[in-house]
Amino acid sequence: MRDYHTSTPPASTKELDATQKFNVVAHNISKVDGEGLVLGRPAYTDDLAPQNALYVKLVRSPHAFARILSIDASEALKMPGVACVLTWKDCPRIPITRAGQGNPEPSPHDRFILDEYVRYVGDEVAVVAAEDEATAEKAASLIKVDYQVLEPILDFEKALDNPIIIHPEPEIHEMFPIGFEPKRNIAAAYHMEIGDVEKELAASPVTVETTVHTQAQQHVALEPHTAFSYLDIQGRLVIVTSTQNPWHTRRLLGLAFQMPLRQIRIVKPRIGGGFGGKQHIHIEPYVAMVTMKTGKPARLALTRREVFEATFTRHEMRVKVRLGADPDGALRAIDMQVLSNTGAYGEHALTTFMVAGSKTLPLYNKVKAVRFGGHVVYTNKVSAGAYRGYGAIQGLTGLESAMDELAHKLGMDPVELRRKNMLHEGETSEVFRIMGEGTEGVAMIIESCKLEECIRRGKELIGWDPTHLVQEVAPSKVRAKGMAIAMQGSGIPLVDMGSARIELQDGGFFKLHVGATDLGTGSDTILAQIAAEELGVDMKDIVIHSSDTDHTPFDVGAYASSTTYVSGSAVLRAARSLKQKLIEAVSLKFGVRPQDLTFEDKVFRTIDGSKELSLNDFSYDTLYHDGAKMKTIEATESFSGDKSPPPYLAAFVEIELDKETGKVDVVNYVAVADVGTPINPNLAKIQIEGGLLQGIGMALYEDVRYSDKGHMLSHNMMTYAIPSREDVGRITVELVDSYEPSGPFGAKSAGEIGIDTPPAAIANAIRNATGVRLTQYPFTPERVLMAIRQAEKGQKGQT
Amino acid sequence: MIITLYINGKKESVECQPGEMLTEVLRRAGYVEVKKGCDTGNCGVCTVLLEGKPVLSCSYLAIRADGKQITTIQGAAKEAEEFAHFLTAEGADQCGFCAPGFALTVLAMKKELPNPSEGEIRHYLAGNLCRCSGYEGQIRAIKKYLEAEHA
Amino acid sequence: MEILEFARPHTLDEALHLVRDRHGTAIGGAAWLRMNTKTMPLGVDLSELGLDYIREANGSIEIGAMTTYRELETSPLLEARFGALFRNTVSHIVGIQLRNIITVGGTLAGRYGFSDLNTTLCALGAKVVFYPGKIADVASFIQDGEEGPFLIEKVLLPVSARASYQQMRITANDFPIINAAAAWTDSSWRIAVGSRPAASRLCKKAMVLLGNEPYPSDEKIGQAAVAAAEELQFGSDIRASAEYRREILPALVRRALMEVRG
Repeated sequence: MRDYHTSTPPASTKELDATQKFNVVAHNISKVDGEGLVLGRPAYTDDLAPQNALYVKLVRSPHAFARILSIDASEALKMPGVACVLTWKDCPRIPITRAGQGNPEPSPHDRFILDEYVRYVGDEVAVVAAEDEATAEKAASLIKVDYQVLEPILDFEKALDNPIIIHPEPEIHEMFPIGFEPKRNIAAAYHMEIGDVEKELAASPVTVETTVHTQAQQHVALEPHTAFSYLDIQGRLVIVTSTQNPWHTRRLLGLAFQMPLRQIRIVKPRIGGGFGGKQHIHIEPYVAMVTMKTGKPARLALTRREVFEATFTRHEMRVKVRLGADPDGALRAIDMQVLSNTGAYGEHALTTFMVAGSKTLPLYNKVKAVRFGGHVVYTNKVSAGAYRGYGAIQGLTGLESAMDELAHKLGMDPVELRRKNMLHEGETSEVFRIMGEGTEGVAMIIESCKLEECIRRGKELIGWDPTHLVQEVAPSKVRAKGMAIAMQGSGIPLVDMGSARIELQDGGFFKLHVGATDLGTGSDTILAQIAAEELGVDMKDIVIHSSDTDHTPFDVGAYASSTTYVSGSAVLRAARSLKQKLIEAVSLKFGVRPQDLTFEDKVFRTIDGSKELSLNDFSYDTLYHDGAKMKTIEATESFSGDKSPPPYLAAFVEIELDKETGKVDVVNYVAVADVGTPINPNLAKIQIEGGLLQGIGMALYEDVRYSDKGHMLSHNMMTYAIPSREDVGRITVELVDSYEPSGPFGAKSAGEIGIDTPPAAIANAIRNATGVRLTQYPFTPERVLMAIRQAEKGQKGQT
Repeated sequence: MIITLYINGKKESVECQPGEMLTEVLRRAGYVEVKKGCDTGNCGVCTVLLEGKPVLSCSYLAIRADGKQITTIQGAAKEAEEFAHFLTAEGADQCGFCAPGFALTVLAMKKELPNPSEGEIRHYLAGNLCRCSGYEGQIRAIKKYLEAEHA
Repeated sequence: MEILEFARPHTLDEALHLVRDRHGTAIGGAAWLRMNTKTMPLGVDLSELGLDYIREANGSIEIGAMTTYRELETSPLLEARFGALFRNTVSHIVGIQLRNIITVGGTLAGRYGFSDLNTTLCALGAKVVFYPGKIADVASFIQDGEEGPFLIEKVLLPVSARASYQQMRITANDFPIINAAAAWTDSSWRIAVGSRPAASRLCKKAMVLLGNEPYPSDEKIGQAAVAAAEELQFGSDIRASAEYRREILPALVRRALMEVRG
């Protein structure tokens, strides 16, 4: 059993300035749904499914690449209780993307809901519905499919210009130029250069080149993807689903089935985790097909194996970074070249790949020349999609590994090398302007960046001494420290949009409706805090309802670290607008000018003190008593950012490495972050703590493995282990005071920044412990030990 | 076949197949607070107390529970509410999907271990996985909950 | 797993009849039954046979076949006689919710390669008792199995031993990559290695090398550790290669021997 140095994990050790400044914001308020969830009240999709719903099961491809010659469902259809079997012949021939992204999507439309071809083991072949689950399963097993098995491409290094073409179908297309060349197995490509990288590299007295290979990783949200559907009284299709993006889901289903969007309603109840894994349409089309075919409710909860084999993974990437610097450490050139594996379909292909550069390269903005480029290729593996970190974690792993190598080469403290080159408040990077997510970027001056403070505090918490980064603790055990810094974004500027509507109710409380999608992060609570703060009321005066395309205003959904910044800004605007409307309405009633009226502590008062009216009384007046003047007081506002202010994080890790077994244990992981004003400091901290642990899992063992035929070997939680609470010693997270002028009450994002640093920081610690630069992820004990053994044999260098 | 379960103190006669696991039977009977997460006995979201001991209902033959006492989180609602207060105060409830099984194990631990160290807490609860929180907030909540109980 | 008929015998004789004469399948903890997609014509539940005990009798420690892992882990008797051995052996297996279900008999009968417990039982020189009374070495049963239908009643251990269990796991609660146990019992050394990934085996050459010396030198221990890795076969699977298993085994064996020697 592990020894814990301190009796209690550090909670917020220091009160933030913002907590003094606000009443509700920057306070630790319990999640509005928390108690209900802990008590297990019915809340998730599968808890709510109608009892009479048909059970849907999917027949999936056993081959990595094959053409379906025939499907014989006669035996299945003979079974009592089987309602229908649907195949590609029942689907309109409309290519779509399953990526829940804005319109037009930066992902190619290269996918049919069901197709004559299957392109990975697990790809959908047929849909079966029956009155009970056992019958549906049995029926699915009775369906006979005759395949013409084709030779797959499994190694992404061999995909480009391979004679095997994964997507020869003529109908598929890009929505705007993304470098889509399916005949070459290229889903997307991009290139940019600022200055002359080759010239700067040639002129640099010190250069390093580091290539990392980051693996596919699985989200493993504990709730499997689940949906049910039914027809409402008007004959409209209603889908209740564990989605991160109700509106994108509605739009894509409308396209896939050639249905008017008015005929579809999407509802998201509570979700058991997302992390990007539910930013797609994986299940909704199949329940919808069954309901449309039979007129009956239909339900589908994926098995865990299906979640592994047939949803999405993180994009596997090979990231090559070359750096050129002066002897004092001043960077002259950064060159990042990426090959990304999108798997069988191109969901998020371009954007995750571009984010590898766009959300990492601005970190070192003093550099004279920067280049970024590469390809995203198709293979016959399960598709890659959105996953927390979204390219930034892959790019950063390359960049921060190379920076560390540069520090070694220069004989410099890696912290000082970063400080010398990193971004500061009031500065910008050309990369912001040039690189966006699939399109051009947005020029942006950084108005909040407390990286210096994050680094200072992080060094203090870990006890950073550049001359003592390694310590022998037992004959075969060594402890070592490493570090990395990171940035992310806050929503996608000029693309993401969120809206909020607030309405005064009788009784003097407010109904807050948002399209934003709470994945369990607590965004419903955070958005209610923003409304309460602006209206000057208590949390209990705000009742929030979210994520229903019929009943809440539009929002693109929860992804790209957008909810607090984008949707939160919409809530702030709506609250501000509503407050103005309330004051106007009461001033009319009082016969005074609006500027002569105050609204504080839920009471309207004239400045001269002559008149006052409580919010509660006013709510009854305006809804019941004021005759012809009665009206609903409500405000709806939207927000779309013209910038994406990055949060920042400085990470310091201490590992213990067993030199006899290669096992690496994280003893302490310190992360100090600038997320602007944390609207709810505890929830912000937990986002970072949770992100760090997923990043540590990626660094050390999480890995999607396949057989040489393309069958996934890590298709359950026995073969794909995620960290348990015994796997990491201590995670220490602190937030620093920071205020982002463009964000709601100074807030930026916190959802993704936590995950970015562990792969690089742990690699850097292992480098310090062993002298070996590990580049092939994850760092399993076997890989670490073999690298140590090789180094002992004098073959020092990269593995 | 029909088996008799004493669920949260209430006698229930439920239909089950001989090879069926307890999770399915409980959810079908409306006890949806018992979650299904991994199908392989790894995640702990399906935890119930069987005769007071935490077990994975997904890995326990329903038929073997015939005549036995089963407690879901709803059957321990009062204590669970007290713990929920501490858990939500840390923001460590997050998506909540693991919370009912996790909270039940915390309650079982409180009965079984008098004054657990952090190592013992982590070990006792190792079978309850959480992908959201990073566990630190949960540990903070448990420590404060146990301290308050002792005070 | 579909079970067509489910029997709950109340006596060992009845259970044996169902298993031997009616080809029933004895059901232990049954935790992983659902991962099996076959149909079982007759399941024989052993949970009503009173096989849930850890006791001292007739010069042995007896562990009933239906004793759960959690009971092994928390048994004051086992703690008193073997120290932390059983806790160290089983406490990393998933979580207590699973360890409250899985049983000693189920693990033995399955002769699972990944088993932690079987390695420790082999090192202790445990015996398995098949009802109505046939006794076999756990180590030979794991290696050779048992012909025809059988019903495991209990396991017999020496009344005490100095022993140590060592393992390598990627995460704290994953299956082991490799494990090793060493025991000084009955005036001799026993070493077993499991999760190779094949099932547990005794390291006979290493045991001979250590002989009857209760306090072998570091050098001797080192030689035995290397011998253990040389005499066994290793395989590759999703968790590690054969080479890696062979490479780290000496460290585990050495750590186990040193812990026992003190």
